[in-house]
Amino acid sequence: MNTAPENFVQTLQELGLGGGWEWKNGSWWKTPEAMDVRASAGQMIALKARFVTITSMEQPDKEIRLDYQWDLQGQLLSFTTATAKQRIPTIADLTPAADWVERETREYLGIEFTGRESTEPLMTRAGDPIGINLHKEVVK
Amino acid sequence: MSFRIPIGPYHPALEEPYKLELVCDGETVRDAVMNVGFNFRGIEYLAERRNYLQGITLVERVCGICSNVHSLSYCQAVEQLIGAEPPERALYIRVILAELERLHSHLLWSGVAAKLIGFKTIFMACFTLRERVMDTLSAISGNRVNYGMNCIGGVNRDIADPQAVLNILDELEREIAHTILPIFLHDRSVEARCKGVGILTTEQAQAMGAVGPLARASGIGQDIRKSAPYCAYDRLEFNVPVETTCDVRARLVVHSLEMVESCRILRQALRALPAGPICAKMPSVGRLKVPAGTAISRAEAPRGEVLYQITSDGTDIPSRVRVRTPTFMNMATVRYAVIGQELADSPLIQASCDPCYSCTDR
Repeated sequence: MNTAPENFVQTLQELGLGGGWEWKNGSWWKTPEAMDVRASAGQMIALKARFVTITSMEQPDKEIRLDYQWDLQGQLLSFTTATAKQRIPTIADLTPAADWVERETREYLGIEFTGRESTEPLMTRAGDPIGINLHKEVVK
Repeated sequence: MSFRIPIGPYHPALEEPYKLELVCDGETVRDAVMNVGFNFRGIEYLAERRNYLQGITLVERVCGICSNVHSLSYCQAVEQLIGAEPPERALYIRVILAELERLHSHLLWSGVAAKLIGFKTIFMACFTLRERVMDTLSAISGNRVNYGMNCIGGVNRDIADPQAVLNILDELEREIAHTILPIFLHDRSVEARCKGVGILTTEQAQAMGAVGPLARASGIGQDIRKSAPYCAYDRLEFNVPVETTCDVRARLVVHSLEMVESCRILRQALRALPAGPICAKMPSVGRLKVPAGTAISRAEAPRGEVLYQITSDGTDIPSRVRVRTPTFMNMATVRYAVIGQELADSPLIQASCDPCYSCTDR
């Protein structure tokens, strides 16, 4: 089973990523109270971290939890935040690796990534409904 | 005058559908637009409506080439949630399956690359060797494609005769060293065909989040087996080949050397295969209790990092199953690799990324 390397919390602090990190079940987790996803992405890019993915999931309050995942020095970092009225700023202009991920996340859970020039469907076709993976079984 | 050439989504020689629109200026590619999703099956949606045991069977069908790594990653994530520790023998068997899968996948890719280069003799040699690997996988698991080996807490079947696999490994290693490596590493025709073609710079690979052999051929020395070891990889010695020329030839070299390293890992794992059970004691079907929480499992598939994130709400059905496959990240890099290249080189450049659309589309 993948375990946490010793002293990595110290490394994270030395890199300017602050405290509040917790190793749990395969990733380092941080849940900032108010996360600026663009500032966070800019910081990870400056540290030459590799963008891995965004994992999104429905919450009881109908907002969507988003885990932004980056690989830094071989360790997986997960920043957790949530949408506001199912909207969140894009990071695709900062890291092109996020382009396809944002497009499919919109299709699956109906999130709008603001600031994009366009959000063309990736897995579905133009005109298809969005939010196709929502558990409430109601497609927008 | 520029014109657009639509290629796909259905290809006479490739089973998997995708569409590439090349914007050309004469014979030179100026831009490319990639369309995927023709093989979209809603695997994540389906996995969130099946119990944890049904999920293993489902995710193994994400891909017909690297099926094992999907069930492995899924099981590893569930094991973290329930705190199960697979026994040592199971961890070694998982490594053996993973490396045999890497070998057959890399041999498949090498054969396709050889055919596109115009070297059909090597195509035949690669596919003959791949059959030997698939026969071995079939002998171990009883299956050629979906092996059904991984279960929560270990593996379903033992390797009763490791020496028989070692004997086949001798033959494979000899053939790879004598037939494939000299052609891919030293043949002047292959070098002339691939050198400087389809360059994906280190900066582009980093920006696109490229993974696996594609990233390693662009100078990024990342391999999950080393950086975040799982199964028994931390007990085994192997190198991670990295090339810095960033072209199709670098991808040939990386794939070739990785096959050598896979043989090396297999030999160590088969020789060190510890005695003991192959699965931890687990509750029977229908009684598996998964506490609420989230777990992430990463593994190095033949094409690079696979990530599974599973969230449990405490019921017997996961509330979220996220599947991030390597080709999902790698495929978009084709745009950068074809721009400025000859139109006639674009099939080789696309293939050199080792695409898998079943994985990408899920």
